Amino acid sequence: MILASGFFEDLFRGVLQGTPPGAVYALIALGFVLTYKTSGVFNLAFGAQAYISAAMYFKVHSVWGWPKWAALLVSVFVLAPLVGLVLERAIFRHLRTASAVSKLVVTIGLSVALPEIFNWAARFSAVAGRQITGIVPDGAGVYYDPFGIYRFNRDELAMMAVALAGTLLLAALFRFTMMGLSMRAVVESPRMTELSGVNANRVSAFAWALSSTFAGMAGVLIAPRFNSLSSGDYFTLVIIAVAAAATGLLISLPRALLGGLGLGWFIAVFNTFLPGLADDHTWLRPFQENLTPSLPFVVLFAILVLWRAVGRQREASDPLAGVDPPPPALAALERHPKLTMFTRLFGVFFVTVVGLVVWFRADVLWMSLVTKAVIIALIYLSVTVITGMGGQISLCQGTFAAIGGFTVFQMADRFNMSVLAAALIGAALAAVVGALLSLPVLRLGGVWLAIATLAFAFFFDAVMVKFSWVGGGSTALLTGTQVPRPLIGPIDFASDRAFLVLAVVALVVVSVVVIQLREGTIGRTLAALRGSEVAAASIGISAARARIVAFAVSAAIAGLGGALLAMHQQNVNYALNFAPIVALFWLVVVVALGSRTVEGAIQAGAAFALFEPLILQGELLGWIVRGEERLPEFFPLSGNWRLILFGLMAMQFARHPEGLVEHGKRRSATRINGWLEAREARA
Amino acid sequence: MTRVLEASGMSVAFAGIRALDNVSVSVAAAERVGLIGPNGAGKTTLFNCLLGILRPDAGRVLLNSVDVGGWPAHRRARAGMGRTFQRVELFADTTVREHLLIAERIRNGTGAFWKDLIGRGRPTPDEVAACDEVLELLGIAELAAKPVESLSLGQSRLVEVGRALMTGPQVLLLDEPSSGLDRDETRALATTLRSVQDTRGYAVLLVEHDVSLVADFTERTYVLDSGVLIAEGSTADVLADPAVRRAYLGSFEVT
Repeated sequence: MILASGFFEDLFRGVLQGTPPGAVYALIALGFVLTYKTSGVFNLAFGAQAYISAAMYFKVHSVWGWPKWAALLVSVFVLAPLVGLVLERAIFRHLRTASAVSKLVVTIGLSVALPEIFNWAARFSAVAGRQITGIVPDGAGVYYDPFGIYRFNRDELAMMAVALAGTLLLAALFRFTMMGLSMRAVVESPRMTELSGVNANRVSAFAWALSSTFAGMAGVLIAPRFNSLSSGDYFTLVIIAVAAAATGLLISLPRALLGGLGLGWFIAVFNTFLPGLADDHTWLRPFQENLTPSLPFVVLFAILVLWRAVGRQREASDPLAGVDPPPPALAALERHPKLTMFTRLFGVFFVTVVGLVVWFRADVLWMSLVTKAVIIALIYLSVTVITGMGGQISLCQGTFAAIGGFTVFQMADRFNMSVLAAALIGAALAAVVGALLSLPVLRLGGVWLAIATLAFAFFFDAVMVKFSWVGGGSTALLTGTQVPRPLIGPIDFASDRAFLVLAVVALVVVSVVVIQLREGTIGRTLAALRGSEVAAASIGISAARARIVAFAVSAAIAGLGGALLAMHQQNVNYALNFAPIVALFWLVVVVALGSRTVEGAIQAGAAFALFEPLILQGELLGWIVRGEERLPEFFPLSGNWRLILFGLMAMQFARHPEGLVEHGKRRSATRINGWLEAREARA
Repeated sequence: MTRVLEASGMSVAFAGIRALDNVSVSVAAAERVGLIGPNGAGKTTLFNCLLGILRPDAGRVLLNSVDVGGWPAHRRARAGMGRTFQRVELFADTTVREHLLIAERIRNGTGAFWKDLIGRGRPTPDEVAACDEVLELLGIAELAAKPVESLSLGQSRLVEVGRALMTGPQVLLLDEPSSGLDRDETRALATTLRSVQDTRGYAVLLVEHDVSLVADFTERTYVLDSGVLIAEGSTADVLADPAVRRAYLGSFEVT
């Protein structure tokens, strides 16, 4: 191909080929920018909103057999704005003055929960191979070839037309209408806008309905490109769109359009020329094979890290924010000594009982589940360090854990090394990667830091895992990434009980380390930085140094946990355990339950691993009513309820950043404190 | 007289507008110096340049005769520049004593990471004693265990001063400490600041809007107007200067 035609013809073909996917990216980027511009929300749930409309369109058109125009009307112009209105009314209206990071966490929770809620409510499940048909008649079958080198089909033309029309519509809205002006004003300061006689709630509701319609439109238009509908694909698309939107600093619509198209062109041209180059230079081949799918993530990471304007962009601050009550302070609670004694005793009692039950009564399955819970809790301590102590959202903890798991696999596979030694090496390696990653991304801070770590996670997922020296390459596809259990002298941890003890010991050691760090210099330094960065600098604290340490420690803990999980399952199981989407759910669980304390991480680990078998499948209730046959009929519940419940719980993050369990604990502690003190006063 | 802090030829332009034009100020050891000027005179800009939060387009900053022009804020803090904030900046979620303890630890430089790991990172009795001494000096010893969220604005200002004192400053830069305080509170603050400064003997550069506090507290004063130094000298002389009254007090009466 490259030999037969000239360079410029190839280039032109690449650009033409890249235009339709570019228009797709642009369309999502536009909707994303619209949400950000009008609500200040970095809406990672945008993909979930798009997914809902696409799924509804499929249901109405393909399952119910309604005509296309009716399906489009129902899914894009009725359901989508409705979803937007509900989200605004129920959630985001109350979060206007919350920090950008807590809004981000809320949207992550939504992106997990929304598709599952829809699937459950509409009894929808994706069928592989049953593609969605486009909105124009015979969209995939009729071709046009205006330049004689690339043929566009009708679906592609529709995408390009809608992207262009959408940009023009939005630009006109912002430039010429009162509503557009009000929308921009509400983001800056809803209070001030209301003072000038605009109903901020109505404006914000309109903005959400509009942006949600955009999400729905994009979702339906893009659907024919996928084999089957999956919310994961839509989430990935949003990450790509963020790269396009970032080129306009999230506020410029024309730049978002150009960014999307540019990304499409770049990828297509890259694909046109790299194969030819790789034929001449063999060292390029592994990159050619692996880099292409990750190109958007590399571009996103590069934009965030290299473009200095991104880091400097400040959060819009509401001059009248002080009108709203400040978020509740997590004032250090002075517990009554009796209460402390009681809770400690109860804790010891509870752990002992659970330990005894597991040790003597648990079968193989439950032993394995409990061990998994212990190891996941250990991994979650890494979130306690980076998010609870450091105040930063990292979305690549799964990647750090995977580095630990893969290190054990490689060391054992190649050098027959002791897996415990390999686990320590894995933790050290993860720490090094974490420290190196933190160097470029720390400058960003806040939401951008979270997105950069997410881009890194997707990059690792798309490229690194496929290298034979990381994920085992193609041989791993056949034989799996097998990891043996450790063996210390006479103790063989192939026994599940012995391994559970090992996992518990590791958890205790890491918990003690985390508590020491929190009480020590680094923990108090990070607390100072969390409180006020300028004030921390004024007493000589170097923010960069403290945060590099936090990243490295957090990565090391995740790496160690990943290594243990690989040993436990005797396989790394990357896609199941450590993929970016899984790690996203980890974050949601931990912040929902409590990222500030060690107990919070342990409870989150137990919830992640045990909630589904224990509660949803009715084991616990069955044990209480003595006999599974007496359970109500709706048991066992679908495991998807886990995603819905924890996703919805993450929404509380903005109001209770300490986590729900911690919040409840503090409230009841205050109450009991008062009761004990009143009783003493009487005595 | 040895100069602790000496800034010369400071110039800053924002988008073509001269915020500072060839401004030079200096503070001698144990001296109390004021810096006044109407809104938009460039006080905050100069303050930020001295502290390393803003890089000036031209000019040098010497701290104990060492050029600190290229140093970031935290390094200047370690070298002896303490500061407080106009809008109180405290560490949420911690107690008053903890504010001072972390500053003390950073000053000592004894917070190695491995010590945290083996459980040697908690505050030592010596550190607690040093913090309590400063709290005593500021007259807020009874607040030591209180979370900072429960403090009044005046108390918060004192905590900021205490935190800055723990860094062992040679020069303390106070950013409008009277803002938000009423007349009595301001007077009480001035009394405390003076007595603490007498004991500890550091130099002070006070950026202030409230002329009475400057008149009360400082020996020498600089006056900025539209980015230019229009007067300097002993506080009494400067405040009596008709040019200063026109530029500064005039605008004060209007608002």
